[in-house]
Amino acid sequence: MNQTSYRLKTWLLQYVGAWDKFWFAPRQPQTLSLLRVITGAMLLYSHLVLATDLTSFLGDTAWVNNETVRQLHDGTFGVADFGWTYLSSISNPALLWSHHVFTILVTACFAIGFLTRITSPLAWFLQLMYLHRMTGTLFGFDQIVTYVAMYLVIAPSGSCFSIDAMIRDRFASDQRGRFWNWFFPAVKATVFSNIATRLLQLHLCIIYLFGGISKARGQTWWDGTAIWYSVSNYEYQSLDMTWLSGYPRLFSAMSHLTLFWELFYCALIWPRITRPFMLVIALALHAGIALALGMITFGMMMIAANMVFVSPEYVKAVASHLRFPKVRAAA
Amino acid sequence: MDSDPINISPRVKVLLSFLLTAHLFALVLPPLSVQTRGPIGPSPSVSTGLEWVEPYSQLLYIDRGYAFFAPDPGPSHLIQAAITGPDGQRREKIYPDIEQQRPRLLYHRHFMLSEFLQEIYHPPGPPEELQKVDPQEAQYWSVARARYESVRQSIMDHLRHEYPGNDVAIARIEHLLPNLIDYQQEPLELTDERLYRVLLDQPMQPGASE
Repeated sequence: MNQTSYRLKTWLLQYVGAWDKFWFAPRQPQTLSLLRVITGAMLLYSHLVLATDLTSFLGDTAWVNNETVRQLHDGTFGVADFGWTYLSSISNPALLWSHHVFTILVTACFAIGFLTRITSPLAWFLQLMYLHRMTGTLFGFDQIVTYVAMYLVIAPSGSCFSIDAMIRDRFASDQRGRFWNWFFPAVKATVFSNIATRLLQLHLCIIYLFGGISKARGQTWWDGTAIWYSVSNYEYQSLDMTWLSGYPRLFSAMSHLTLFWELFYCALIWPRITRPFMLVIALALHAGIALALGMITFGMMMIAANMVFVSPEYVKAVASHLRFPKVRAAA
Repeated sequence: MDSDPINISPRVKVLLSFLLTAHLFALVLPPLSVQTRGPIGPSPSVSTGLEWVEPYSQLLYIDRGYAFFAPDPGPSHLIQAAITGPDGQRREKIYPDIEQQRPRLLYHRHFMLSEFLQEIYHPPGPPEELQKVDPQEAQYWSVARARYESVRQSIMDHLRHEYPGNDVAIARIEHLLPNLIDYQQEPLELTDERLYRVLLDQPMQPGASE
């Protein structure tokens, strides 16, 4: 009995230790800072594209107008949800434009890492408001870019590859207080960088696992024709890949690989020995979606999100090799 | 104010562990509820758990199913708009249209809109028999139909705003995927008119697909 209780206690302590290491071991911020640059640039691009046809998506004369959006969320058509946004209450085009210009400025600041402690949560919040307003016109890109932005709020992502890093170094002094050190964080390993990294890693695992499960419920991912049917969808097509019909072994292998890769990503991305293979497949799969299926933004953003499995030390080494002065100095 | 600690106290770790676990539940339960929904409704255990996290997951937009190109890649759905001017001249527009909506991201938003209209489509009704047999189901039907009509009306209002003084009517078009075996034997253009069909908005008939 004593031996059993000893084993149980040992097991519990090992489990608590593993949990502690997984979530609360400090981590360097370079990978997240690079993700901030990419995510900020993609968000900025999304807002700029929206600006080319703003009132078709926001306001009282949009495709889905303010009243309809409010009804879609307030329970008029069934159960109410919590997809709240103030944007469905703004009718004045001048106000909508002012808000959009403000959003573009905030997002640009977030991308270049200027006042990141403010612009990071603000850029994410504004994006969330747009998402809830633009019900019916969203797709995977909007999801992944918002999730990455959300987790970056937790981390000191402005500590490198940023204007904040330049300001911190330019005005460096031992006399600076805690607020200054928080606002312009140093390049150092922190618990919050690790938590943000772990959350995004786990979120990706969940996305791929359920993506795989939902595909496994179909027939074409099993009989191998799914990839051909995907590339033969004219509305998605940006590169004519219908020639694949002449190569059944090729398109069926691609279908099976996609299915099994998604299903087992959540397990095989963690061991160091299988991680590079999973990341190479992620790169190939999402590059294929970007180039052939017309979702360049989605494909690029998913590739960027997968970078969260790249160690910050590796990013630091590459950045140092490319002669990013702030990183070199920190190294 | 220093939020970048290298070490944090055990008490804070316990609190953070609780919050992180709750967040993970909020991530997992929405897609799980999609996958565990069957002919008799959602899984009772999953939907019970979902009730706890739903406000949070909806607010953060993490209440997604992640079913990309699943369970099988299917046909596309388009919106065909017939715009008739005061002089009786009629022109047709198709949404999405890669020639009209650039860059690709803007095109894709229009594409998702046309897919959304199809996704929420519910035929006119409910049938009288349903109202007698299952009033609650009949109520669901009415609400679902009202949602479709509201979005359809909003789309038509937008087009009327874009083309003032014109009459506007819209229809849903399904763009089918070519059958692989047929395509291997006789390739056809993906824009071949045989691959398009108009989806009628009419009460459900016995044996009809819509």
